[in-house]
Amino acid sequence: MPINEVRNTVLAIVNKNNYGYISPQDFNLYCQQAQMSIFEDYFYAYNNQIVKENQRTSGTGYADITKGLVEVIDGFSATQTLINNGANLFSLPSNYYLINKLNYYPIIVASGNITLNAAFTINDTGATFVTSGVVAGQLVSSTSKDGVTAGQSAYITSVNSETSLSITVDLFSKVSTIGGSYTIVLGNGIVEVERVNQHKIFYLKSSPLTSPSTGYPAYVLGNATTTGYGNIINVYPETLTTPGTIFAQYVRYPIDPKWTYVEIVSGEPVFSASQDDYQDFELPLSDEPALIAKICKYVGIEIREQDVFQFGANELQSEQQTQR
Amino acid sequence: MAYINDYAYYQNSGNEPKDANWGSYQYVSLADIVNNFMLMYQGNHELVNNVDRYQVLFHAKRGIQELNYDAMKEIKILQLDVTLQLRFILPQDYVNWVRISVHADGVLKPLTENIQTNWSGAYLQDHDANILFDEDGNVLKPENSELDLERITGGEKSIYLNDGSRFNGSEGYCCDGDWYFDYAIGARFGLNTETANSNPTFTIDKQSGVINFSNISKAASVVLEYVSDGMAGGVDSEVQLNKLFEEYIYAYVKYSILNGKLAVQEYVVNRARKDKSSLLRNAKIRLSNIHPGRLLQNMRGQNKWIK
Repeated sequence: MPINEVRNTVLAIVNKNNYGYISPQDFNLYCQQAQMSIFEDYFYAYNNQIVKENQRTSGTGYADITKGLVEVIDGFSATQTLINNGANLFSLPSNYYLINKLNYYPIIVASGNITLNAAFTINDTGATFVTSGVVAGQLVSSTSKDGVTAGQSAYITSVNSETSLSITVDLFSKVSTIGGSYTIVLGNGIVEVERVNQHKIFYLKSSPLTSPSTGYPAYVLGNATTTGYGNIINVYPETLTTPGTIFAQYVRYPIDPKWTYVEIVSGEPVFSASQDDYQDFELPLSDEPALIAKICKYVGIEIREQDVFQFGANELQSEQQTQR
Repeated sequence: MAYINDYAYYQNSGNEPKDANWGSYQYVSLADIVNNFMLMYQGNHELVNNVDRYQVLFHAKRGIQELNYDAMKEIKILQLDVTLQLRFILPQDYVNWVRISVHADGVLKPLTENIQTNWSGAYLQDHDANILFDEDGNVLKPENSELDLERITGGEKSIYLNDGSRFNGSEGYCCDGDWYFDYAIGARFGLNTETANSNPTFTIDKQSGVINFSNISKAASVVLEYVSDGMAGGVDSEVQLNKLFEEYIYAYVKYSILNGKLAVQEYVVNRARKDKSSLLRNAKIRLSNIHPGRLLQNMRGQNKWIK
């Protein structure tokens, strides 16, 4: 959804009676808030829709509301290798909203370190890709803890030689990636690493019937420090320590929208989409009315205009009623 | 197991061991059971929702254990020589025994469980029968009780009509070519068929994890047929279930979860319970393998006179 379109609409509403002026900085802040709010609403809407389906008050085909909601949420779905933090500790992605699944890839085909940087290529003079059984279609991930592409993954498109591979994502083109590690895994025998609550993990490990194994691994989230937020998981059994074998499928937060401009002409900033930090909304176009209404609410508070606030509130209420 | 081609089945695709896949099609693995259940019976629109995989895993394993105890005929067989203490150490995955035989003269001779015990614990006592203690106040125990010692050294007498019978080797007299024996008290009339077995006997010491034999020769070869719980020594990847029970195990897991879940209507629980029970019955009938060939072989002896 183009952010400039949203801004123009908001300004049109707000400026109707010369209520006031919204600076780009304020507008961007409101956009963030509004987008995040609507993004979170998707999950509640999805849950409500499931309840409706179970009550048999929801239809199929064009009446399949759930499908649309799932499509939007799935648009934020990402997959990443978890970076190993020593032993059985793995870092979760920094931008995750919800970890949907962790998968364990038990079969490692090859691993090594980058010796020469190149776009869409893995070069490792110490590797024996052909001999090791590396073939196109296998999954490779960047596993260096501090690498610029840490955690990103790609598929192998061709095996060029014993020491060179072509891959689908540009993981190792920067000079700084030289020396960085990678792992290639096989897509067979993948098992889900199950989330277990902290208060259950002790019992889970103690029971011979449920004790985590390579076939039924588990993890707990925690590891907060006195100064840091706990974003690291413990994977069980403790033997699962190999970097590049634990992948997360998660829903990430939407990227903050940013309306950018180049200069101010006669008091008005001139929109520019070519700035590096320019960012459109990531929500679908169908959310534009709700988004504008929400932004209007925030703007109404800023310029202390009851009418603008009320307009936003009414629009939102009306939209929510339509969706019920 | 996943579908495999003929080469993978017969030759394990050239890998060792070659027989790894033989007969595997009869079984469904634990991993498949859990996967299938999570896929088909658990979800937003299913009776079972919001359960963790470990709960499904737990109930699936419990179901397999229960089936191994009584419904399935997955008998394991182990042949070992008895130890110098005339013991047979129970296998690691032993749960209950089916039959114990001694392998001698080229045939298996089924043994009888001794109706009397042939083992016991013991405390050391002084000449006045006072129990002796060590300095920590714990009772002192001998290595073997007298009962065990007699059994091990071969001095034990048996109520069974085997080599250890207390009448075996008694003096008698021969009259008209027949041997007659006097007994100290009373006389023997007829035969106590319960103890009329010439083979060695055994009792099982469950807590010590051994089978104690009486009147058996040292290093005799013993064959133990037993049932396990199907947990394959804790190796999850080797736990499997006969396909005839596949539908039952799903029903069992479903019932177990619904039965323990809060706010599930009683009729739903009942439906799941009935589903489980009827599927178990069906599977047992299927597995009973009553077919004409077997019946015919057994019934061939129906008109034979047993003298």
